Amino acid sequence: MSGLTFRLTSAPVERLDLSTLTPKVLASTPLADVLKLNVGTTKSGVKLGDVFTVSGKPGDTIIIEGSTNKLDFVGTDLEHGSVIVEGDVGVGAGRNMRSGRLDIRGDAGALLGSGIGGGEIYVKGSAGSQVGGLTPGDKFGMTGGLIVIDGQAGDRAGDRMRRGTIFIRGKCGSFAGSRMVGGTIWTELGFGADPGMLLRRGTLIGPSVDQFLPTFVDAGRHDLVILPILSRYLREKLGPKAPKALPGIVRKYAGDLATVGKGEILITA
Amino acid sequence: MKINGIEIDDTFAEAFGMAGTGVIITADTMKWARVAAVTMSGFGTSVIGAGAEVGIDRELSPSETPDGRPGVRVLLFGFSPDAAANQLKTRVGQCVLTSPGSACYAGVESEKRIGLGKGPRYFGDGFQTAKKLGDRRYWRIPVMDGEFVIEETTGVVTDAVGGGNILMLGNDRAGLLQTAEAAVDAIGNVPDVITPFPGGIVRSGSKVGSKYKGAIASTNDAFCPTLRGRVKSEVGPDTIAVLEIVIDGLTSKSVADAMRAGIKTVLEIGAAKGVTRITAGNYGGKLGQHHYKLRELLP
Repeated sequence: MSGLTFRLTSAPVERLDLSTLTPKVLASTPLADVLKLNVGTTKSGVKLGDVFTVSGKPGDTIIIEGSTNKLDFVGTDLEHGSVIVEGDVGVGAGRNMRSGRLDIRGDAGALLGSGIGGGEIYVKGSAGSQVGGLTPGDKFGMTGGLIVIDGQAGDRAGDRMRRGTIFIRGKCGSFAGSRMVGGTIWTELGFGADPGMLLRRGTLIGPSVDQFLPTFVDAGRHDLVILPILSRYLREKLGPKAPKALPGIVRKYAGDLATVGKGEILITA
Repeated sequence: MKINGIEIDDTFAEAFGMAGTGVIITADTMKWARVAAVTMSGFGTSVIGAGAEVGIDRELSPSETPDGRPGVRVLLFGFSPDAAANQLKTRVGQCVLTSPGSACYAGVESEKRIGLGKGPRYFGDGFQTAKKLGDRRYWRIPVMDGEFVIEETTGVVTDAVGGGNILMLGNDRAGLLQTAEAAVDAIGNVPDVITPFPGGIVRSGSKVGSKYKGAIASTNDAFCPTLRGRVKSEVGPDTIAVLEIVIDGLTSKSVADAMRAGIKTVLEIGAAKGVTRITAGNYGGKLGQHHYKLRELLP
């Protein structure tokens, strides 16, 4: 593993936009110019070199040390290689990722992996609202890839998500899968209130739901062949850290009948 | 050359390039995975008459299948990827989709893909849903016993080989058949090959052409023991029956390995069961691009 290590020298006084800090940009830009990149979000014009020290050689990996939740858009547009963050990140981490791997060894802010189309995001801590969601102007949220969160996820995870998989070891907030068009959200500790609001297609899996929307119907208990396929997919991705395989029988709730209604909430307990 | 009482001709099997694809069929039990696989393989003997040559490659343990259930790998060979795709769609739609508890996945991995669930998914009448995990897309089609899961595409290779063969001549029809069965069993252990004819064995070898208009193939009179004396016969006076094993494989090496395994078994059994000679079918080497010389395949 070769690459550059960026170490935050002091707590930022303003939010920093690190969307330009990708392996692709670093591979094509002289390091001296990289340090001149404007990462500030106010008129002050903070340069990368003002707040980070750099060590190592350019390669496929970027390591960000001493990170705080004021570092936004880490790993944006990532197409290859990996970004490892020691600490927390702010909003929009992994936005529009297409491939590669983003490893956040702390908490993530809102809109983690918004618009992600491929690649993998791993969060050691918890994530804010709208994991895999969308921002104004986007047609869809997450359209592919994998997001794994070891802690909790905030509200509206998978908002207008179309494809891909979100796996949350902790609890998922309210309104998970709102306006979802496809894809899978799997939580090991259950969903908050009203998951699947205006869910068109897609699958929400968990042991419990705090409160069901009235527009979901109980479709009975079923053994679904797709579930062991999903378990195997995560086993291949996560190895020994993979979750326990899904049970053979789940209870299916179909909805949201306020819209297309081809989605499902599968209760594993 | 004679080994263990069996004469081996100094000749070669002539085989042809084909498109090869495959699927993995799973079910709740191996019995039902086999039922679907056997049904799908039915009428899949000769590409000329049946449109495709289809057979079971091997059984798969639950740990080898995408959904952790018992499975069977079926291989299908056609003249072209398009021809194979059409046969696949029809056979999967009629024989696998309909079989209780079945699911169907890609059985060949290659860059070139053909549709697998692309056609059958429409059976869902709009209730079907897709699930994409990584780079694989699965269709879930509601059926009366739950859901039929089928992968969207499977791989196809264009350097597959069809028509590898072994001809066995004997003076005891029952013993010859037993020996051929043992050879087919041995070939069954070779990966990536099928023996598409009934039980893996052909009793009606054919020649190209016919005296009748419209028939593109007819009985291989040179190897018909009852015609000895009437035609330019290839069989000796003691031969009362000839059986052929036809082999299709995803690679030329797999076909050679299968022929080698079959010949080895026949030679190990020896002449005691009535096999007197091993030869192979060819067209003078002018039609098929793959030649398998028997003397290079001896154990």
